[in-house]
Order: sequence, then structure tokens, then C-alpha cells
Amino acid sequence: MDRRGFLKAATGVAAVPLGAAGLAAPALSQTAAARTLRFVPQANLANFDPIWGTQYVVRNASAMVWDTLYGVNDKLEPQRQMVEAEEVSADGLTWTFRLREGLRFHDNEPVLAKDVVASVTRWMPRDPMGQMVRAVQNELVAVDDRTFRWTLKRPFPKLRYALGKTNTPICFIMPERIARTDPFTQITEFVGSGPMRFLRNEWVPGARAAFQRFDGYQPREEAGTWLAGGKRIMVDRVEWHVMPDPATASAALQSGEVDWWENPLTDLVPTLRRNRSIALDIADPLGNIGSFRMNHLHPPFNNLGVRRAVLMALNQEDYMRALVGDDNNLWKSLPGYFTPGTPLYTEEGGEILKGRRDLDAAKKLLAESGYRNEPVTCIVAQDQSITKTQGDVTADLLKRLGMNVDFVATDWGTTGQRRAMKNPPGQGGWSMFHTWHAGADCVNPASYNAVRANGDGAWFGWPNIPAVEQAIAEWFDAPNEAAEKAAIGKVNRAALDNVVYAPTGFFLGYQAWRRNVSGIQKGPLPFFWGVSKT
Amino acid sequence: MFAYIVRRILATIPVMAIVALFVFSLLYIAPGDPAAVIAGDQATPDDVERIRQSLGLDRPFLVRFGEWVFRILRGDLGVSIFTNLPVSTMIGQRVQPTLSLMVLTLILAVTIAVPMGVVAAWRQGTLIDRAVMGFAVLGFSVPVFVVGYLLAYVFALELDWLPVQGYTSIDQGLWPWLENLILPAVALGGVYIALIARITRATMLEVLQQDYIRTARAKGAGQGSVLFLHALKNAAVPIVTVIGIGVALLIGGAVVTESVFAIPGLGRLTVDAILRRDYPVIQGVILLFSFVYVLVNLLIDILYTLIDPRIRY
Repeated sequence: MDRRGFLKAATGVAAVPLGAAGLAAPALSQTAAARTLRFVPQANLANFDPIWGTQYVVRNASAMVWDTLYGVNDKLEPQRQMVEAEEVSADGLTWTFRLREGLRFHDNEPVLAKDVVASVTRWMPRDPMGQMVRAVQNELVAVDDRTFRWTLKRPFPKLRYALGKTNTPICFIMPERIARTDPFTQITEFVGSGPMRFLRNEWVPGARAAFQRFDGYQPREEAGTWLAGGKRIMVDRVEWHVMPDPATASAALQSGEVDWWENPLTDLVPTLRRNRSIALDIADPLGNIGSFRMNHLHPPFNNLGVRRAVLMALNQEDYMRALVGDDNNLWKSLPGYFTPGTPLYTEEGGEILKGRRDLDAAKKLLAESGYRNEPVTCIVAQDQSITKTQGDVTADLLKRLGMNVDFVATDWGTTGQRRAMKNPPGQGGWSMFHTWHAGADCVNPASYNAVRANGDGAWFGWPNIPAVEQAIAEWFDAPNEAAEKAAIGKVNRAALDNVVYAPTGFFLGYQAWRRNVSGIQKGPLPFFWGVSKT
Repeated sequence: MFAYIVRRILATIPVMAIVALFVFSLLYIAPGDPAAVIAGDQATPDDVERIRQSLGLDRPFLVRFGEWVFRILRGDLGVSIFTNLPVSTMIGQRVQPTLSLMVLTLILAVTIAVPMGVVAAWRQGTLIDRAVMGFAVLGFSVPVFVVGYLLAYVFALELDWLPVQGYTSIDQGLWPWLENLILPAVALGGVYIALIARITRATMLEVLQQDYIRTARAKGAGQGSVLFLHALKNAAVPIVTVIGIGVALLIGGAVVTESVFAIPGLGRLTVDAILRRDYPVIQGVILLFSFVYVLVNLLIDILYTLIDPRIRY
């Protein structure tokens, strides 16, 4: 018996003479404890509608509760998931899908084609790829209980990928009555189709969420990787414990109060490494891309010369070392916009970010560009360590470059509001802000809003660069991998030539777990299938 | 007395109304946009605008304020923008941990600080007095989160006596409830102990100079009787006042303590709501805190009459 156990027992004994039998804690057997996996997520699960709220944490929890028609595996290939088979017409305009037999929602009702149609219809307006499908859609109808048909105006070869990607929002399948909710209104009922049930009565937003294995779920026969294959849940229950303070999460993992921590702070990794009960590994091999966006609408960054001067001076190593410290396994230079290690990765046109940094040449370019010392309103959210760190490095960079920096220290909520304003910087607008993109979102242009350059329709900063858009269109229409790679090369070159945004480098993060837990995968989100605990 | 209590309760209505107007106006003019947070980082400006419209955040100030006041008057604090849960439900989920923490801290602080202050006054200028005052300075100076980390490191990680974090409801058993609260209460209590100990000492020093204390000693009253029955009773009014004022200190400290020890209380709810700009929750929690503060002050005023019979309302 350990000391805490002794104290517990001693207090229990002391409580009995007081007639306080009801005050003693219920005993939790060793086996029962092993059937509950306690997980510390990256953030608070503040809502539970993966279409309405597109935060990663909502997607991660939702992946346990709702299943998908397709799911990508660790090679980023879409595999059948709820779909048993599909048939594509020779002209590529008609897709007919058949659902697997025996699929059930958590209320034990069967999953029908009409549920799928309603779910896909709700998902499309919220997802960039979904919007593209909707733009070419003729009709999406349920043919019978297990069959639905999609007819298109022109071929959309990446339909399977769209339905199985990991990027948020994922196309989750919900009962029709729930999926009929407006996509901009939050659902109020959480009836899932996936391997775990959401225990709504135990949900305390900001503190805890609990999920219970759904025995009616029928996993596929294949081994489970990422969102594909058999989603076999090895524990009875998964509990999410929200811990805003990384030091507390670290201590809780060390003391065995939790089993798995999704994103340990880099500074705490050495401490965790010293603990022999804890294992550490890279969480997501697709990592993250750091970035700052420049406002293409207003001076000084409406001037291509100024944008290129900043890119020429930028040293990604400065950003990455500030973010992840001296652990060289955690970062890479990134002379481009796409995720390293993925099939479409390219450095085409990336010369401006490579090699020794030449501040003098950058200053010369800045002078030639006609920069007239306009203030650079640099919005930096201080409550997010990644944005704060990058903002500090950028402010120093711009000052060394001789620019007039107006450093606006604020929080993420305010950044979110201000970056949407198109006013000039002096009238409530902005010149630049910092963020980062999950590498999973940057493997191709499908859901990569940040690389789009379609003016008013583009992401904040509103770059308008037809060459980028043309190359993205070529990728969507590409008939094979070679054509895809050629198109992505063009996207990268055009985006860098015109500085759609400034990539500050590629970085990875760790995940940590107690050694009595096994089966944890590396991936863009925590996958709970196959994870067991002894 | 009854009339006084009724008058004071009625007086809380305009106070709460002013608080409500102030809070609503402040949130209206404060920068930040819950729609942007909901939409996520990859959302387009159009998505954000659609969400803003669906939440009614694009409507004029007076319309929104009027609706909110109307709901408040019906006892409805509204629905959280993010969780879609009633604010009253969210507050209900969080009241027990915060109340438990505050009550335990209060008991701990009063139990330790008052005797400390009394002894320090009694032994003025001695090593004991200096030790008590030194502790008080330390209690004021060291931030709650530093104390919290140190306690967690020593008593949870190194000694494994207590858990690092979390909260267990009291209906799960006395010890599970208590073991989660001991470290947070000690961490939070530091400042409070320092405050009460200093006030107790200062007031006791003044009272111990009074003629009636000399009389009590002359009558042969024992040291304990002089200190705790004669002196402390007469020193109690300022001490009780400080304890009441300190409730605000506790509320502020609970925000930090709950974060350090991952206690799902009202403090964390407030911080989360502010960071996300969850307006209905912020408004509900601030109204609740204001009400509690007004109520505590009322209780303190009533307590005066029990401590000092000369006080009449």
C-alpha cells in the first residue's frame, strides 16, 4: 500500500465510528481502473458539434463518436469506412455508394442512406472541399435504405478524399433529424455512429468529458490506421480531463492520475523523459507550419517588393528555435507551403527562403520597393505561446530590416475579430498577424485555405494572385499523381513569388503516455481505437 | 433589525442593476469576437459573419441589452454561445468545487490566522511575533500559483500524499473530496492567513492597551481568558470586516488556484468564458459574484450586532 492509500484507509477507518459509512469513497478495482483511459486533450471541449464548431479539439472528440463514409489511412489514402462499395460511371459524373450492412446509431436505429444525404448536405457549406463538390453537384439522393447516388455537372476525382480527410470539418454521419440542423446553428442532440458514445450528462465543459464504448458498433475487419480500418475500442471508457496548465498536466501524468497527454509543452519534455513510467514520441508526423499573414489590401504589404524583402530577410531557424528550443528533431526549414514528408511536398520556387540570410540585400530590396516608413501594425496574440513567440521574432526582424513596427499585444479572441477587418491599419485594421497551420491541412490544396489567393474569397489578408488559383484548379482536375505534383509545384512557386503568406518553418510536437498504455498511433489527431491499458 | 435586512436586500436591486449595465456595456465595447473563435482558425470571413448573424451578435446594443435584461428578470441567465448549455446549468456544475474551496480556505485561514495574530500581539516584539509577521509578509508576497506548484511538487509528486489535481464531489466520500482540496486550500489560504493574522495582531495590540484588560488581569483572569474572552471579543469587529472583504480576495485567488489544480470551478469558468468571449456566461458569473459579495457584506453587518451589542440598526 502506498502512502496515499494508507491515508485513504486511515481516514476511512476514522470515518466509520462517526457513523459515516456513506462518506467512504467507493472502491475502484484495479481491473475497472484499467478499463478507463484518462486523456488530457490539447484544449477544452467547449462545444460538441463538429460541423458548427471547427476547432481541432471538437473534431478529435467527434472522431470517436461519429463515423465517416471514408477515412484516410496513414498514407493519406482514402479507404472505405461506412461505405461497402462505390460505383463510378465512365464519365465520372455519377457516383453510386452502398453502405455496409449492420451500421447503427447510438440510439440503435439503423444508419440509412437518407441520414447520409442529410449529413453530407450539412457538411458541404462548411468545408472548402465540400463547397467545391456542391458547386459541381447536380443531385444527391437516397436510392434505397443502403444506397445513395451523387450526380455531378463535371467530374470530381477527389470525392473519396473529401469524404474521408482528417481536416476539419470532417464529414461525419449523423441521424437525419439531427443533420437537418442549419450548419451555422449548433446541434442539441449527440447521437453518434462511431465506436464510442458521448456521455452528455457527464460533460462539464472546461473540465471533463466522458465517452463509453458503444457495443453496437461494427468495426471493419482491416487493421485500424488513422480514420481507416477497424476502429476497435479496447477500453470501456475514455475520460477527457481538461488541464489548462501544462505544469499541472505534467505532474498529473507523472503521478499516474492521467494516462495520456496529447501535447506536452516542449519545455517540460526533459522532465517527462526522466520518468521511467512515461513514454514520449512525436504526436503527429505531419506537424505544423508556422506562419504570419500579411495584409495584401493596404500599405506596406500591398507592395510585392516589401513582402519579398521581408521573406528574404526571414530566418526560419530563428522562429523554430524560439518555438521548440534546441531539439533538432522537432523542426525543419520549409522553403514552401506544403507538408514535408508527404507525397506532394515540393520546394519549387523556394530559393528565397533557402541558404544564408542576407539582411543587407533585403534592406536594399525594401528601399527599392518604395517603402515609405508606413507603420506595420503587427497583431500578436499573447495567450497562445506559438503566436507570441513568433510575434516576438518577427518584431525583431522587421526592426532590423528598418521597418516601422506598431506591435499590438492582444489575445487570440481579439486577433480573431481584428483580422477579419478590411479597414486600413490606422482605422482598426491590421498589417500582419501570426498563426500556424496543422500539417494535415497542408498536404494538398483541398482544405488549405491559407494558400488560396482568390482575393475577397481568400483567407485573411485577401491575396489576389490568379496564378496560384489557376495552379490549384489544375491540381483538382489532375488525372494522376504526376499531374498533381506538377500542379503543386506551380502553386508553390506562384505563392512564394507573390508571398501569399510567410512560412516560418515546420515544427513537430510530442505526445506522452504512461507505459502501461499501448497502441497509441502517431497522427494528426489522437486515435483511441487500438489503445489499451493494463 | 428585520426592517434593516429587508432594506439592505432591496438596496441590492439597484446595485445589481448597475453591475448588469456596466458588465453588458463593457463586454459590448471590448474587442473580440466569439464567432471567430467558434468558426476556428481555418474559417473564412463569410463563415464568421454567418455565425455572428446566427448568434444575433450583429444586432444593436439596445436590442441585445433589452432582451438580456428581460430574460434576467425572468430568472433566465441565457445560454452559453459555445456549449449551448443554459448558463445556470454551467454555473450549477461549477458552484460546488468553488464553494468547497472557499469554505475550506476560510475555515483553514480563520483557524490558523486568528490564533497566530493573537499570539503575535501577546508576545509583541519577541521571536514568535517576528516569525508570525515574517510569515505574513511571505504570504502576501509569494503568488498563489508559486505556492501551488511548490505544494504539488512536494506533497503530490515527491511524497505522494495527495493528488496533483482535480476535484471529487463530496457525495463520493469525505476523504476523496478533502484530499483534492487540501493543497489548493493551503495555497489559496496563504494570502488570506497573512491578511487576517496582521489585522488580528494590530487590533489586539490596541485592545490589549485598554483599561478593561488591565481590570480583567487585576481580577485575576487567566492569560487565555484575557486574550480570547476579553480582548479578542472586542477586537472582533475589524477582524470580521477583513474576513468579509477578503471574500473578494478569495474569488480572485480561486481563478488562479483552480487553474493550477485543475479544479472545475467558477474561476476557471470565468477565465474560459472571457478568453472565448462567451458573453452570457461572463455576464452570469459576474452577476453571481456581485450578488455573493453584496450578500457577504450584509451577513458581516448582521454579524456586527451579535459581536458588539452596542451596534444597532
